[in-house]
Amino acid sequence: MSATSGVARRDEDEVCPVCKSSRYLNPNMRFLINPECYHKMCESCVDRIFSSGPSSCPVAGCRKTLRKNKFRQQTFEDIGVEREVDIRRRVMQVLNRREEEFDSKRAYDDFLEQREEIIANLVSGIDVVKTEAKLKRYATDNVQSIRTNQALEVEESQSFQARMTLEQEEARLRRQAAREEYENERREMQAGRNDFLLRLAAGSPADAAAIAREGHKVLLKKSSARRSEEDRIRQKQAALRGTDVKRTASLLNTADTAGTTDTGLVKGLRKIKAPEPEKPYDPFDGMVPEKHDYYTLQDYYPSAYLDKIRKDTRMQAGGYDLREYYSRSLMEAFAGLGVSIAEEVAQRDATSMLGRSKPASTESAAMAAVGNTVASENAT
Amino acid sequence: MIEDDIYRTSSQFRLWSYTETSLQSLRANTNAAAIERVRTALRRAREAQQSTASSAVGTPITSQPGSESEGRGNEEKEIDCLTPEEELVFVRYYCEQLLELGETYKPPLPTLVRATAIQYLRRFYLSNSPMTYNPKQIMACALFVATKTENYYMSLRQFADGIPGNTTTEDVLAPEFLLMQGLRFTFDIRHPFRGLEGGAMELTAIAQGNGQPAPHMVHQTPEDLRQGLMSIAPPPVPSSSITDRIGRAHGTTREMLKSAAQMTDVYFLYTPSQIWLSAFLLADRPLTEFYLDTKLGGPLTSTTASTEDPNNNLQNPLYDLRTKVLAILNDCAALLQSYMPLSSDPAQMKNLKRIAKKLYHCQNPEKVNLAAIQKRGSQLPPSGAASSAAADSGPVTSESESDRLAKKRKLDREQKTRNADPFGPELVPDRTKGH
Amino acid sequence: MAASPFASRSPSLTISSPNTLRLRASTAQNASQTSVARRPQNADQELTEQLNDEVRQKYVKDKRLGEGTYAVVYLGHLKNDPSSSVAIKKIKVNAEYKDGLAMDAIREVKYLQELSHPNIIALHDVFSSKDQNLSLVLEYLPRGDLEMLIKDVNIHYGVADVKAWMGMLARGVWFCHENFVLHRDIKPNNLLIGSDGEVKLADFGLARSFADPNYNMTHQVITRWYRPLELLYGARQYSGAVDVWSMGMVFAELLIRIPFVAGNTDLDQISKICEAFGTPTEENWPGVTQLPNYIPSDRNVPLQGREFFLRQFPIAGPVGAELLMSMCALDPRKRTTALQALRHSWWTTEPKPTKKEDLPRKAGGDKKMGDDLTRRGGELDDSTFKNAARQLDFGAK
Repeated sequence: MSATSGVARRDEDEVCPVCKSSRYLNPNMRFLINPECYHKMCESCVDRIFSSGPSSCPVAGCRKTLRKNKFRQQTFEDIGVEREVDIRRRVMQVLNRREEEFDSKRAYDDFLEQREEIIANLVSGIDVVKTEAKLKRYATDNVQSIRTNQALEVEESQSFQARMTLEQEEARLRRQAAREEYENERREMQAGRNDFLLRLAAGSPADAAAIAREGHKVLLKKSSARRSEEDRIRQKQAALRGTDVKRTASLLNTADTAGTTDTGLVKGLRKIKAPEPEKPYDPFDGMVPEKHDYYTLQDYYPSAYLDKIRKDTRMQAGGYDLREYYSRSLMEAFAGLGVSIAEEVAQRDATSMLGRSKPASTESAAMAAVGNTVASENAT
Repeated sequence: MIEDDIYRTSSQFRLWSYTETSLQSLRANTNAAAIERVRTALRRAREAQQSTASSAVGTPITSQPGSESEGRGNEEKEIDCLTPEEELVFVRYYCEQLLELGETYKPPLPTLVRATAIQYLRRFYLSNSPMTYNPKQIMACALFVATKTENYYMSLRQFADGIPGNTTTEDVLAPEFLLMQGLRFTFDIRHPFRGLEGGAMELTAIAQGNGQPAPHMVHQTPEDLRQGLMSIAPPPVPSSSITDRIGRAHGTTREMLKSAAQMTDVYFLYTPSQIWLSAFLLADRPLTEFYLDTKLGGPLTSTTASTEDPNNNLQNPLYDLRTKVLAILNDCAALLQSYMPLSSDPAQMKNLKRIAKKLYHCQNPEKVNLAAIQKRGSQLPPSGAASSAAADSGPVTSESESDRLAKKRKLDREQKTRNADPFGPELVPDRTKGH
Repeated sequence: MAASPFASRSPSLTISSPNTLRLRASTAQNASQTSVARRPQNADQELTEQLNDEVRQKYVKDKRLGEGTYAVVYLGHLKNDPSSSVAIKKIKVNAEYKDGLAMDAIREVKYLQELSHPNIIALHDVFSSKDQNLSLVLEYLPRGDLEMLIKDVNIHYGVADVKAWMGMLARGVWFCHENFVLHRDIKPNNLLIGSDGEVKLADFGLARSFADPNYNMTHQVITRWYRPLELLYGARQYSGAVDVWSMGMVFAELLIRIPFVAGNTDLDQISKICEAFGTPTEENWPGVTQLPNYIPSDRNVPLQGREFFLRQFPIAGPVGAELLMSMCALDPRKRTTALQALRHSWWTTEPKPTKKEDLPRKAGGDKKMGDDLTRRGGELDDSTFKNAARQLDFGAK
């Protein structure tokens, strides 16, 4: 990874270093880099040079072989920063131990420091070959733990996202409910006041004070009753969510069997294995929907016979769906095409005969001893 | 292939698929067992007759059907029974009759109902012999059960009225339980008809330039497919357009699936997709081969095929499967092609008459009146293993007097019809000549 | 069971069979060959009778779990494995039905023989008993059904549990539709629970295959509260969407713990649906007025949107409410399919579905299974009758 020359080169005022065309003439020009050597060139150069397969970098003196699919846009203006970020990302993906995996805070800090050192070495080109080899060995030795921790990270960020959206949605609903409540209250207050005025107008002056007191009390009671009802619902919902949180929290405490997970590179790891990450929930439970080997299902097939069904609104309104018919007839057109009954049934007969003579169950063994067994003894 | 695994879960594959050898030995076993039982039953009938004749002279029993029992009674040698091949021909005749029977209803019963009934009958006679249960008694029931399982509901009365002659509802229903037992309570039959529709639809889409490549042949564009279809060898019968050609192949195949596929052993030996594609192959070979190539890749080019190049596989990863499938389809096609309707062939009809005559002598007398047996069965435990010791004396002696009389009446009636024509009257007017 | 053809399933279609009892009938030819050799012992039995006896003698009946008009259910076990459990459902011969074996029994046997999936009750065997009655040997599901859990006020469950149950239900329904079978009677008491917590679709007495054009189907299927509007309007051609509506109703009921739209008559059901979800019109459901039993509504309620579902089912959360709404589309063409439902993002949003072993449970489920299996398809439980029946005690616990 000798990209130092690449880093040294600065932008030459929006001119492609390879074909020398400038942004002045082509305002839509995009520059791309390849993390192999970080030499910048314009999109059309990349298309021109690498479309027909891997080729060497066109920058004089650089002999790196580059592939088109590795080219990408630069994120940071400084190519040096760009490169460091790449290296950091790569190293952190491998050295992705988590704090809870270490014996002590100290051991975790040591690990973090070591990781920074490795990154620094790679960035500044010190002991590159040795460091890369170390990293690679660690990666191969710890495939399982790396994958586990990656999965955990993804999961955490996803559930964080989900929580954020959920909270936003709830906040929105709460705001809306509050607004509605306020509106209702205002309306009722208005109605109450009207009522109060009417009664005042109708009644004798002596009652006035009593009527006023009473009206005020009723209004208060109504709104507080509503408020406590809503609190109750809110609490109930919170409780429902609470049970789920508890369940996931207990997950981390279930430690599996111990195993020496110390690697040559990372020290101070806890002697227990991190629990297997929970497999992501698969709604299909291992089955693959809509996968076929003999045909690609289409949404429409020409057939004069089916045209009148396509036009039959009553049938359509009932929900009849020709795509279900297409799906069924194509499935039946090919289901079993590659099944050789002659081979498979012969084999099945042979193995089932074998299965019968196994002493797995005494009664089925008796069954195999065909001929002189008593019928009532048999049960297979 | 996923579609294949889905088929493997069907009861048709799990319970009703056989190799040619296993099918043959199963039929031979059934036949041997039935012969043994027919002979025992006849002997028992003879003994019973002799003992009643000697102990109770003057009872109505003496007026037993004359010619039949005497013929048997005097026979010292064992009776001549049907061979498995003869049984097969005999059952097949009733399968053809079933097709006709379905036609007599107004409106005619759907193809699917008739085909299911035929397959029920064929499955039933894998473990039962016509010598024990005459297919004439079973066939109406098979058709009735098929109307129920294929969701073509009609009442029993309505159904029985549709049968020419004076078949009663009891006659239809009597063997129902027996039939279902023989079917091992699997009612689902996987037919090739719907698959044919699917294939024809897809080919038409290809002809219109709207075909999608198969999952393993992703490099093909709809236009490639259309071009390929346009450049196949001409059809056996010239057609005006490719759509016309597909339509013609579809029609020919459908007829074959309604007849040859029902009357031969293809349902036991092949899968529904193989059956329709074999028939399609017979209808239009270049078209079928093109269609298979779009699924499983084309044949190897002559240059690479001749050299022993291990890279052959690279050219078409499905090459082995394609070879295997083509061989299976050719075998299946040959079996379909061998079929000739009995009634359109005088030689076969003559043979059939001979078998019917032979069966007349070796029909198991204890199973003739199914309605009575059924009635008895629902009242008393049948001769299961638990009661097999008690049943040693034989069902004839354990029968109640009324049942015995009913059976005798039935026997007499059968006797009369048999004497008129050893084969019995035609159930339906003969229409098979159109085939 | 070395002969099990399920061993050869490809990874793309792996169906785990957690129950140790995979008792699919052994291959026909072997059984018949061996029994031929034993012929002299019971010469009076037909080959098919012998095969049937072999199946029957594999099982031992223990106690009666329940009895209804349609069937009697027994708890049983494998003769050579006393620790196993099976439910034996003996279908009664209906004296009034003169057309042979009843359609319910035929349908149930036909489809269960073909469908093998963790979320569909397994049919191990079928045999006929001495009096020519049909007996189905079914997977034993001792933990009752969803109705029992919904109604029991002492059981507390949350949205994660609902998600787990709905996931299992949706999988089962999807598998049926994938095999072109409509269940046509989905409701909480047809969703039985296995000892491992797995929900299983049971009672296929109203099931039928579908997708063929120009075949009329009956609209008098699915228990009323779970029946979609197109069937109430008498549609004779319909699709998997009818089961999806029932799924939606079960979903709603799980969330609020009472049936969501419970009409007293078919007409009442129609008006309740319209009131709850909106009135169908030619605009929101083209062609609806052409359905055979369509009746114009006197009130015009606009179609309910997202807000309605969020307000009615706050526990489901916004994503869950959206899934429920997609199952409750009035126009069956706009309703989600079982496949699309399984692809919905609700399953992967927080909270995760509860693991099936952690789901709430309740004792006494075996009796409930007895009740469930003896009912005839499409019947609404009359609660007074049912309570009385329960007191009759189906075999002491």
